[in-house]
Amino acid sequence: MSSALSVTDATFEEEVLNSDIPVLVDFWAPWCGPCRMVAPVVDEIANEYEGRVKVVKVNTDENSKVATDFGIRSIPTLMIFKGGQKVDILVGAVPKTKIEATLEQFL
Amino acid sequence: MSSTYKPQQASDKNLEAMRKFAETYAKRTGTYFCSDLGTTAVVLEGLAKHKDDYGSPLCPCRHYEDKEAEVAAAYWNCPCVPMRERRECHCLLFLTADHPFAGTAQEISFEQIREETNRFTVS
Repeated sequence: MSSALSVTDATFEEEVLNSDIPVLVDFWAPWCGPCRMVAPVVDEIANEYEGRVKVVKVNTDENSKVATDFGIRSIPTLMIFKGGQKVDILVGAVPKTKIEATLEQFL
Repeated sequence: MSSTYKPQQASDKNLEAMRKFAETYAKRTGTYFCSDLGTTAVVLEGLAKHKDDYGSPLCPCRHYEDKEAEVAAAYWNCPCVPMRERRECHCLLFLTADHPFAGTAQEISFEQIREETNRFTVS
């Protein structure tokens, strides 16, 4: 059983940019309604893609630097990183099938 | 959500103010709350918390470099400009009837809100 790891301003580089496998990052905030809908889907994806995709989440209220550096505006925003580069972005409460289809391109 | 991070709830006074505003505004604009009222509850708590902390109900579904400056700019104070101009609410608070997440309610009680948001806090 795996679920999304919490990443901070301090650990973002190590956990996301230096990852050997693609990373799905869920940028969320505590009182954001749609974030609450996406969170369980992201946890499911963490399980299903274990070993192939690393799934992490960033609380933008607590980690303003990373959120600002990557130009986060609307939340939730899901970003995919591969080889230290941002390769795709999904904004809002997107369905699981859309997240999966997007991820598959980078596997 | 993170199991260790505990967000703070808003004051009862501002939560009640936002609750009443949301009911009135939904009815006036012909929009509906989310079919999952827990989503509505979380957003109302966030709006009320911003009203507590910054004086205006800044949208809780955006990241801002500077919340005080955003409140002054007013664009994302609820009801935000996209909502007022085009009935677009990416926070899923006010939904037009044809939106896939739209429910049928235009009312939510104070207790319903706190029952949901108490799950995320220690207080």
